[in-house]
Amino acid sequence: MSVTLSQVSDSELLTAIPAPAGKRRANPGFRRLSSLKNRLVAYGLMFPAIAVFVAFFYIPAGFLIYIAFFHWSILSSATKYVGLGNFRILIHQPLFWHSLLTSAYYTVVMIPATTLLALGIALLLREGVGIRKGGVWRAAVFLPHVTPIVATSIIWVWIFNPHFGLANYLLTSVRLPALGWLESVHWALPAVMIDSLWHSLGLYVIIFLAGLSRVPRELIEVAGLEGAKRPRIFRRIIWPLISPTTFFVVVLSTVSTWQAFSQIYTMTGGPHGGAGGPAFATTTDAVLVYQTAFIYEHFSLAAAMSLVLFGIILLLTLIQKWISDRIVFYR
Amino acid sequence: MAKIQLKGASKVYEKDGTPVVDDIHLEIEDGEFVVLLGPSGCGKTTTLRMIAGLEKLTSGELLFDGRLMNDVPGDQRNVGMVFQNYALYPHMTVFDNLSFGMRSRGIGRVEARRRVDEVAGILDLDDLLGRRPRQLSGGQRQRVALGRALVRDPVVFLMDEPLSNLDSNLREQTRLELARLHARLGITTIYVTHDQNEALTLADRVVVMEGGHVRQVDEPSVVYSAPSDTFVARFIGSPGMNLWPLSGPDAGDSVERGDGIQLPQGFLEAIDEFPPGGMMLGVRPEDLTTEVEQGCAQFVCQVELQEHLGSHVHLHAKLGSSGGGERLVSRLTPDSRHKAGAQLVLGALPESLHLFDLGTGRRISTSTPVPRTGSSTGLSDPGRLTFPNPAINFAADGIVVG
Repeated sequence: MSVTLSQVSDSELLTAIPAPAGKRRANPGFRRLSSLKNRLVAYGLMFPAIAVFVAFFYIPAGFLIYIAFFHWSILSSATKYVGLGNFRILIHQPLFWHSLLTSAYYTVVMIPATTLLALGIALLLREGVGIRKGGVWRAAVFLPHVTPIVATSIIWVWIFNPHFGLANYLLTSVRLPALGWLESVHWALPAVMIDSLWHSLGLYVIIFLAGLSRVPRELIEVAGLEGAKRPRIFRRIIWPLISPTTFFVVVLSTVSTWQAFSQIYTMTGGPHGGAGGPAFATTTDAVLVYQTAFIYEHFSLAAAMSLVLFGIILLLTLIQKWISDRIVFYR
Repeated sequence: MAKIQLKGASKVYEKDGTPVVDDIHLEIEDGEFVVLLGPSGCGKTTTLRMIAGLEKLTSGELLFDGRLMNDVPGDQRNVGMVFQNYALYPHMTVFDNLSFGMRSRGIGRVEARRRVDEVAGILDLDDLLGRRPRQLSGGQRQRVALGRALVRDPVVFLMDEPLSNLDSNLREQTRLELARLHARLGITTIYVTHDQNEALTLADRVVVMEGGHVRQVDEPSVVYSAPSDTFVARFIGSPGMNLWPLSGPDAGDSVERGDGIQLPQGFLEAIDEFPPGGMMLGVRPEDLTTEVEQGCAQFVCQVELQEHLGSHVHLHAKLGSSGGGERLVSRLTPDSRHKAGAQLVLGALPESLHLFDLGTGRRISTSTPVPRTGSSTGLSDPGRLTFPNPAINFAADGIVVG
């Protein structure tokens, strides 16, 4: 009896085709067992990292959101749901608004300063304008970033000492008036900014160097041959091509400036309390959160402040993302 | 358009002090298509970059139409350069890629538009002006790169391996387009490649380079038929020329040799001066044939293996009746059938034999061999090579026709 192909069902046809030699051993049961084993090994390897992350990030973060809507004290087990009560208190706190403004001022100065200085130094290091031994310079620029910020901040406290610090010595040596620095309401935050800038710059320089290394040298050469001068080559070729790197640096520095705490704590108060001075001149949102929670022991209020800070950073990042989708060029 | 001259041009990098380009003398006529050909690291790209102004000459002179250009910046030399990877600005449209240079030099928007449209017409880019490079195929990108070089109306075109990123079909097609473009525009062109097919098909003259030195500057047919030294002999041709030492006390006065080579009677008498260190004999694989005629040089060999390449066969053998001598490659017709281990006698006409100084590698001038004329041979696989000058053609089996 002859059978035409149309009389044979698809499944029969498939079984008639011999499986490749390697696949024949892999029956469904074996495959399931093997994939279960693989999954167990994978989760086993990830477990330590996940456990640390859950214990020190997700649980505290979840608990923070919880207590932001409650009246909660570390000394008492009684908790009381207050809804948006904590947020209402914050709105009527002038110091909270002052801290937000201080944080904003700190961020608005720090982001362009960090980005432009880091890019400038990276360009200098890449082009090697009058600089030999680029590796030594790169290491020198990166070194402050790997030093603990508390240690560098203590050094800067001495540099900014109004009576015998290096900063005032340099100012007076060029006939400029000495400044109060950390003791001055106007100069305390700029002093902290200088420390932060010095400490963080190395990381951003390295990121920019990585971004610049992805700009093909031929593009710059051909633009030069076509008659474009250095500023135009930078503006029309290099700047657009490193825009993903610039965007990354801006996001990273936005997050870190809004969260700045250690350097302010070390430079303006230290372990004896009173950080954020003089006269709240350096009280950023992060400093106020710390003081509210651990000096004044209003944990629920501090949690609400943290949520506001989180909301601000999230909003800024979303705005940056929206802008980047329009101006950043991804190859 | 311009006449380009390099006089004793050298380039030494500070790092190790080794010259990358060493004392090059070269004259490129106005409107000429010159190809710098050589293996990687031979200094051809550095030479091109020196002409472009991307590298400074360590010593020597570079002249455009007699004007010293050593210290003239690249942007003032009016060169159009095409890079191997095209170097198109990835964030700009094709139109912006083409007009960027003009706008940088202060040319107005209207004039820039006119020039771009003109070049887009020549290179068939009209429909692509609004696209970005990543939206283009390899061949289209290549045309945009050419257009960008062309749009400034350069005095010289500099091309650094512009076809090497294309697949073989597109490469052949684009090679033809380049030849047509040069014929149409007549702009002096200096083209760098390591691909001898490109060099021999495109060039008016080929500059063969090795180790920073120029080995030979000649028309493609001469580079092929009369290589100036053993390097050029081996480098040009696919496979390269067979070369065997003819050293020993009897090299000058005996034609019967124990190594499987039998030279034609009186062949060595044509040599003006015997080099003291001995000689090398060279025969192109395509000049060796199984049909041994009277007066031919004969090569007794033992077959190792045959490679069938469609249009022809590469026969690999060892000289000597026992197969204990030097290696030999022959290019035979596709119907050739020779078993491994079989003894074979191959012949070559006296005029297809080449002699070189064993010590210096330089060609030894004789009354023979002479550059031949006839029908065509192919250097490339599997395509056939036709030289730009139709008068110069070779027979596929290496035997002179007519």
